[in-house]
Amino acid sequence: METGGIMTTQTLGVEKSRERIKTRINMGMGMGIFLLPLIWMDTTTYFTLTVAGISLGMLIFLIASGLTLIFGLMDVLNLAHAAFFAFGAYAGAAVLNGFDSLGWISTASLPESLLYLVSALLAAGLTGAVLGIATETLVIRKVYGDHLMQLLVTVGVSFVIVEILKIVWGVNNEVVPVPMGFQDSFILWGVFIEYFRVVAIVLGIGVFAGLQFVLKKTKIGIIVRAGVENREIVKTTGYNISRIFTLIFAAGAALAATGGIMMAVFNQAVDPGMGDQFLIFALIVVIIGGMGSVTGSFIGAVMVGLSFNYVAYLIPKMALGVNFMIMAVILLIRPKGLFGKE
Amino acid sequence: MYYQAGLVIFIALIPFLFPSFRVMDVVAKIMIFTIVTASFDLLLGYTGILSFAHGMFFGIGAYSIALILFFAPNPSWVHIPLSIVVSLLVSIGLSVIISFFSLRVKAIFFAMLTLSLAEFAHILGVQWSGLTGGEDGISFTLPSVFNFNHSLGTLFHTEINGRLLVYYLILASTIALFAGLLRFIRSPLGRVLKAVRDNEQRTTALGYKTFGYKLYSIVFSSCTASLGGILFSMWLCYVNPGSVFHTAIMVNILLMVLIGGMGTLYGAMIGASFLIVTENWLPGLLKHMAAFAPESTLVNNLADRWQLYFGILFILVVLFFPKGVIGTIRSQMNLNRQAKQP
Repeated sequence: METGGIMTTQTLGVEKSRERIKTRINMGMGMGIFLLPLIWMDTTTYFTLTVAGISLGMLIFLIASGLTLIFGLMDVLNLAHAAFFAFGAYAGAAVLNGFDSLGWISTASLPESLLYLVSALLAAGLTGAVLGIATETLVIRKVYGDHLMQLLVTVGVSFVIVEILKIVWGVNNEVVPVPMGFQDSFILWGVFIEYFRVVAIVLGIGVFAGLQFVLKKTKIGIIVRAGVENREIVKTTGYNISRIFTLIFAAGAALAATGGIMMAVFNQAVDPGMGDQFLIFALIVVIIGGMGSVTGSFIGAVMVGLSFNYVAYLIPKMALGVNFMIMAVILLIRPKGLFGKE
Repeated sequence: MYYQAGLVIFIALIPFLFPSFRVMDVVAKIMIFTIVTASFDLLLGYTGILSFAHGMFFGIGAYSIALILFFAPNPSWVHIPLSIVVSLLVSIGLSVIISFFSLRVKAIFFAMLTLSLAEFAHILGVQWSGLTGGEDGISFTLPSVFNFNHSLGTLFHTEINGRLLVYYLILASTIALFAGLLRFIRSPLGRVLKAVRDNEQRTTALGYKTFGYKLYSIVFSSCTASLGGILFSMWLCYVNPGSVFHTAIMVNILLMVLIGGMGTLYGAMIGASFLIVTENWLPGLLKHMAAFAPESTLVNNLADRWQLYFGILFILVVLFFPKGVIGTIRSQMNLNRQAKQP
């Protein structure tokens, strides 16, 4: 009996490591696909596109991470995410415009540019957090546990927020002033790399690491997930579950808003419909990566960013279509996404 | 039965009772949206699936007739049935593909996939300007007897022209499609769908292949929506991405279902009537009210963005009035009936 038990654990262990090797091989093959564009372009172009693609991927990750955080922890699919995103973009752009009217933007050195960007990010994040807190306490709190109601009510919230945005800032596209320091670039292996791209990549990796730390190393993740299962029991252990829920929701909204201002600086423009345009990326990323998995979102975002840029260079009209194709292929192989759980 | 017949006769007499075009326009749109909303209710209320692609199918119908009549060398009545066939084939194909990719996992997945697809359709409609005319859209003229300039003489001081014929075509199609939907939900198939909505696991355990039933429901409802799109396009003789593919259309359809009551079908009439009537007269009313404070830009903005009130209404309905008008009446009647029984 005893030996039998040990045998099973051993075989289980072997199977587990086999599984792990299999996943690694699969991932390696997946990475290999991204070398494929080299057939049609020279290495310099490839390298430029790769850097641009990774930075776009990081921006998309910022948007998708908030969605993933709220869905993964609280089991709420927040369709108002796009509205938080757009609102954050406008709030951040307002700050940058303020600096611009003082004449600081066009003369900013790199450290000054960083300072301005950080203040715009803070403003956007704060606005997002306030919106998130308001939405959670007024609306979402009433519909926990009912997916259909959550979807419906967040559609309504999204609509209202975008209308408020139009009332405050008008309905037209507006130009976002980009701090001068970010318009410079440096040369790495014969390729021009804009400083803003580096900022985007650093921010994306930072947010990824931060989320992983909070979810894996602190108790917040487990408390929230337990709270979704059974609020009362978590309450009896002494945690103020509704405050934690509000905080998580606010954090997700703030992530969306910071993603918004980053994307606004990236595109140098804001418009009221921008949320919907980028929500499509975030949704594809979350579907590819598996709902609720931060790692999945990260990898999915890089995949989407890279393939978007390669294809936009090779066949411009197919750029978005290719993302749909990737999504379709992944759904065929793994219906739950790359890192989706049961 | 008498109510229904009375309603149909009333609607048929409207062009003679109210000679103003605006009333006729509102009634025609109410009929079209009743169909679109009722078919959406088949999904949301009877099958428990939230699809954001319903507006997309509506748009597919609208665009198929517009494109065929616009690009046909000499349009004749043959092109109308042709566009019906085309739009039905496209809708069936797309809805089967969507269901195959997303229905295997979770209903929430379906919502996300359809949302991203609907956004994609909107972007495609705007950017594929060689085919769709971009933001400007396509205007076309209807062939043979349906041509708006084609007159058959006058009857009771009302001109019998192509527009009036289209009006009656819409009425006839609405009756046929609505009866079809009623028949669908009262068939054995419809009863299985309700079982799927209430408890999918149990239905599977009883031996029903739920995937197939859901597929029927999705295909049937998207086909009905695309027929609604054809009628819409015929009535306006104009189509652009903003009027058929935009998320606002989807939000409107959702709001119509919610106001009328999910899972009632007849609620679609109430929802569509309420929304289209308000949509037609609310902006003017608000403008009049804003005229009292012409200096304040905030008041003017608040009056301009009348969609904001729809959004707020949407949230309130979801939170506090989830059964809708018909649903509330029905449950009240059930309570009364139970009270009468000893």
